[in-house]
Amino acid sequence: MNQDIESEIRSALRPMAPSDEFSQQLLARVAAHPPARPRSNNRMPLRARHAWWVAAGLAASLVLTVGVERQLERQRSLQSGLEARREVLQALRVTSQKLNLAYEAVKSQSSSLADAEPAV
Amino acid sequence: MRKYTLPMLLLLFLLGPALSRAVPNPKLVMPEFQGLAQKASESVTITLDPTLLSLAGRFLDGNDPQDAATKEIIKGLRGIYVRSYTFDKDEAYAQSDIDAVRGQLSAPGWNRLVETHSRKTRANVDIYIMIDHDQAVGLALIASEPRQFTIVNIIGAIDLDKLHKLEGQFGVPKLDIDTSKTPAQGAHK
Repeated sequence: MNQDIESEIRSALRPMAPSDEFSQQLLARVAAHPPARPRSNNRMPLRARHAWWVAAGLAASLVLTVGVERQLERQRSLQSGLEARREVLQALRVTSQKLNLAYEAVKSQSSSLADAEPAV
Repeated sequence: MRKYTLPMLLLLFLLGPALSRAVPNPKLVMPEFQGLAQKASESVTITLDPTLLSLAGRFLDGNDPQDAATKEIIKGLRGIYVRSYTFDKDEAYAQSDIDAVRGQLSAPGWNRLVETHSRKTRANVDIYIMIDHDQAVGLALIASEPRQFTIVNIIGAIDLDKLHKLEGQFGVPKLDIDTSKTPAQGAHK
């Protein structure tokens, strides 16, 4: 019983030469649809990865440049503000000193006039 | 509209010079003084236009008495110009250097407020003020000493009372200028 089944399976699975018609159809199909060129699995992802890194690098450089520029601008503004403040104080100090010079001259003139008055 | 263009232009052309004469200009043209700067042992050149004054105002601390007083003074100002030269020897500058500036103060609008001469220090100080519509709009100060030559030009609404305060702030005694008098009354001109 078992032997029968086995021989049936063997006969069913025996190698057979394809018919000529089948071979021709297959060859015709192959000729009509050449197989697509196998793509390298790594090529595109690598490029994409490179592009991503380049974009990320550019974005980071841009952010860094803008940040540094802003910081420098803030520093320049701070420096020119402090310089302007120093100049205002110096200008007013010089003005004060010269006003004081005038004051001293007026005061000494007034006192000498006052001293001279009794003699007149 | 086009028919009014020509008459309007003519009117502007005719009134332009008159209008420009009507508005006094308290800003002095400061000579370069390059020769003086080279000879001077110390020189101070300060040019503060409205933008820089406003910038300086932002950096003055309102809680500090000196800064607060300075802030109050520069509030109405449109410019501060200072040229000061100190020399190692007497009479190192020519009278013509002073005259170049003094000549501008004979223009209409300027009034000499104080003219002083000290025999002791051999210092001359002239203070001029420009008044427009009862408001001081400009101050010019020329101080010539044997070894120092200073010109100060302040433009804007100058409050002499505030200047008095400033003098106190810088540890300088207050100048006895009677601000109730108009400068024309106090002028020696």
